[in-house]
Formats: sequence, structure tokens, C-alpha cells
Amino acid sequence: MVCVCVCVCVCVSVCQVPVAEGKSVQQTVDMLHKKLEQLGAVKQGNFWVDCETYQATGNATGQPTKLLYVMHNSETPLSSMALFEGGPGLTADANFDVLMVKLKSHFQNAKGHKVESRGTRYRYCDFLVKIGTVAMSSSARGISVEVEYCACVIPGDCWNLMKEFMQSFLGSSTPELPAVFTSKAEGLYAPVDCMDTMSQYLELFGKVRKQQVLAGSGVR
Amino acid sequence: MADVMNVGVNLEAFSQAINAIQALRSSVTRVFDSLKDGMKNKETLEGREKVFITEFQDNLQSVNRDLNELERLSTLVGRPSESHPLHNSGLLSLDPVQDKTPLYSQLLQAYKWSNKLQYHAGLASSLLNQQSLKRSANQMGTSAKRRPKVQPSTLALPTQYVDDVISRIGRMFPDMSIELFRPNGTSAVLLVTLGKVLKAIVVMRSLFIDRTIVRGYHENIYSEDGKVTDHATTALLHYQLPQMPDVVVRSFMTWLRSYIKLFQTPCQRCGKYLQEGLPPTWRDFRTLEAFHDTCRQ
Repeated sequence: MVCVCVCVCVCVSVCQVPVAEGKSVQQTVDMLHKKLEQLGAVKQGNFWVDCETYQATGNATGQPTKLLYVMHNSETPLSSMALFEGGPGLTADANFDVLMVKLKSHFQNAKGHKVESRGTRYRYCDFLVKIGTVAMSSSARGISVEVEYCACVIPGDCWNLMKEFMQSFLGSSTPELPAVFTSKAEGLYAPVDCMDTMSQYLELFGKVRKQQVLAGSGVR
Repeated sequence: MADVMNVGVNLEAFSQAINAIQALRSSVTRVFDSLKDGMKNKETLEGREKVFITEFQDNLQSVNRDLNELERLSTLVGRPSESHPLHNSGLLSLDPVQDKTPLYSQLLQAYKWSNKLQYHAGLASSLLNQQSLKRSANQMGTSAKRRPKVQPSTLALPTQYVDDVISRIGRMFPDMSIELFRPNGTSAVLLVTLGKVLKAIVVMRSLFIDRTIVRGYHENIYSEDGKVTDHATTALLHYQLPQMPDVVVRSFMTWLRSYIKLFQTPCQRCGKYLQEGLPPTWRDFRTLEAFHDTCRQ
């Protein structure tokens, strides 16, 4: 099973952590928890991130159907984020979901494609680490690790610092600088916003979905 | 103390004057009461009128008496001392409970002591500067011509001068913006924004830095103190030069500016970025190198 870690930075970085050989998802998650607690992190509740897929109907023939993803994050419980893959995104309040119901004729909810990540939140000095189990149709597909450095808003400034921190508990699974930052027009030194976080999660969930297509029935 | 004596005399006359005011008020009330009550019941109309008029006259005379008494006392009370060197805190002298809270006298003593201290320190520093001490880094020129004019009192600089100095320093550093506010009186409060890394509030007393608070760029001002605030307080205690406060402010700003790469520089001693979860927050005062707080010894 592939664990996807999404590094979201406030600077958040969401990344993937592969499941340890011969162990289950839950055991790998427990191992990560233990490593964090050894470092001195303190547990601070739970978190969840979910993503629903909507297909745009009524497209002109010949064009691929555009998929709209509506995501929620427990860090911002009163907001919904809607984005197209690689395209623009918007942040709205929680009533956006009701709006999508009203737009049933234009956007159809692909119910089987809902992906969510649930897990625990740890705090270590200025770092927030969220380790979650990514599940689709209530079967665990992978592990997501989100690392947030609350003190800094510029990813270019603190990437090395975050990498050092992630190495201390992720070891070799430490990711590289997320593509969402390198592909920005203003470069690495533009301040981040919550859309970057969500784009990273989206990328992660996308990988998880594709994985299911390849591997057949995802199993624990 | 002479001040206490003055206050004592005034207090007595004050209390008598207050009593006189009360007496005056009651006599005036009596006048209006008698007018309101009107004529008392007597056998004849003349009798009633006569009684009424005599009563009215008595009352007016007592009012006159009380008013004269009050005027006499008010001359005794005298005027409060016009020289209020402490402005609003001088009003503490009106506190009647002098025994339990002798705040005013203690305040006066404290100010006298600090003024004397400053005077002596100025004398001592001018004497010491005449002997050239080769050890000190901030060596002033030995020739009298190069010696800058010693300002008689660097504590009471005109606000325009302070504004000029601060704006000059602000222009020196392009990535650091300094905004100046004067929310309460003549002390300046600077809001220093360093790139997108941190914000610092610096409270000044004329050109001397009194206190600083350092916060992250998007942090709430009222959150708990962090390590960098402690370091900044240490820095403002370290950079001291009473005769040339603008040099002090410039050195402090230069030191603060070294924090622009707070998250990017590793510690010079251990080479790592993080130590117990913190980046290298200490900046050496002379070389401006970055160290972790635990690595700097």
C-alpha cells in the first residue's frame, strides 16, 4: 500500500509515507505516532480532510468531462473549497454543499469516489503534524502525513528546516518540495494560502484513486 | 520637605473652606425654604407680613455672613503650586491618606534621585572619555575637534529630531519598514516589519529603546512571549551608549535585520536547522551569526 503524504505548509507539506513491509496501515500509523511521541510531540485531537467528486454534465461532445472536487478540512470547519484539477479554485462557506445539491442538473455527484483522510493531530513547538489514514469507500488505502510549520509563510524560506524536521521522524520517506510551490508564477517566495494545502491533498487523493484502479480491490 | 509643609497648611484651610461652603449652602436653602413656605399663620395680616419679612432678612444676612467667611478662607487656601513638574502624577499630592500611601513624596524622591544620577553619569562619562581607553570598541577621536557635541540632555530631545533619525535609519535598510506612532504623549512607538518574517514593536523614550516585543508575521500581538522577544530585550540592554543614542538605535536595527533569514540559516555551531524544534534564534551581537539558543555558549 502506498502512503501518500501531503505536505501542506502554512507552510504545509503533505507527503506520502509507504506502508512498512509486512505491516498493516494501522501498525504503520502507530509506528509513526510512537516516533512523534518520542520526539516530544503532544497529541492535540483529531483531524479529517475529505474530497467529493462532481462530474460536470452537459458538456459539448468530444470534450472530456470536467471534474469538480469539493473538499473540506477540519482546520477550517466552516469552509468548503472547490477546485478543478490543476485549475482555479474557490473558497466558500459551508453552505456551498447545499448549493451543489441545488446544481444537481449541472454537476453530478460521483458518490463512490469520495476520499477522506482521518487521523490524529500532534503539536511539536511550532510544528503541527497530522497523520491520517486515507480511505475510499470505507477501505483504507494509504497513509497521509501533513506537516505544517506555523511560524513561517514563505515556503522557500523554511523548506530546509521542514525537511530536517520530517527526516527526524519519517526517515527516508521525506518528500521533496511539493510541486504546487515550484509551479507558482511568483516562485517559491510568495506567501502560501489554504488552496495550496488543498491542491496537495487533491494530488494525494488522485494518486490513491488511481491506485485503486490499478490494484483492484484495495485491502488492508 | 517644603512641599509637605505647604500641603499641610492648605489642607486645614481647605477643610474650613469646605465647612464654610456647606454652611453657605444650608443658609441659601433656608432662604428658599422660607420663601416656599410663605407666610405663617398669625392673627393679623400685618403680623404675618412682619414675621415673614424679618425671617427673610435674617436668612439673607446669614447668607451674606457665610459668603464673607468663605471669601476670607479662600484667600487663605492659596493657589496650588503652579510648577507641576510631574504633570498628571502631581495630582497624587491631593491624596488625603498620606500615611498609608505616601506615593507623591516617594515619587518626588525617585525623580530627584534619577535626575541626580543622570547628571553625575554625564559628568563621569565626559571625564572618562578624556582618557583614551584603548579597549573599548566605540572609540571616539581623541582630538577635541572630532568629538561630537555632547547634548546636554539626551532624554528630552525634540520629537522632530527623533522622527528624522528614525526615518533615516528606515531608509538605510530596504527590506525593513519602520512606522512611527505616538499614541500616548511624546514617546515614540515603532512598528518594525522585517520582510515577511517578523514584526517588532519597539517602545522608545526619546531616542532610547525601552522595550521590544517581537511576533511572527501573522501572529497575534497578544500571544505569549517567544524566544526572539527575550533575545531582543537582551540586545537592547547590550547596545548602550548614552551620549550617542542614534548610534545605539542603528546598531539595534542592524542586529534585528539579521533575523530576515531566520528560517533559512543553519546554526553556526551544530550545523542543523532545528534544535528542540526551534530554528537558530540567537544572533551574536558583534558578528551577527546565527546560533541556537542552546548552542551559543
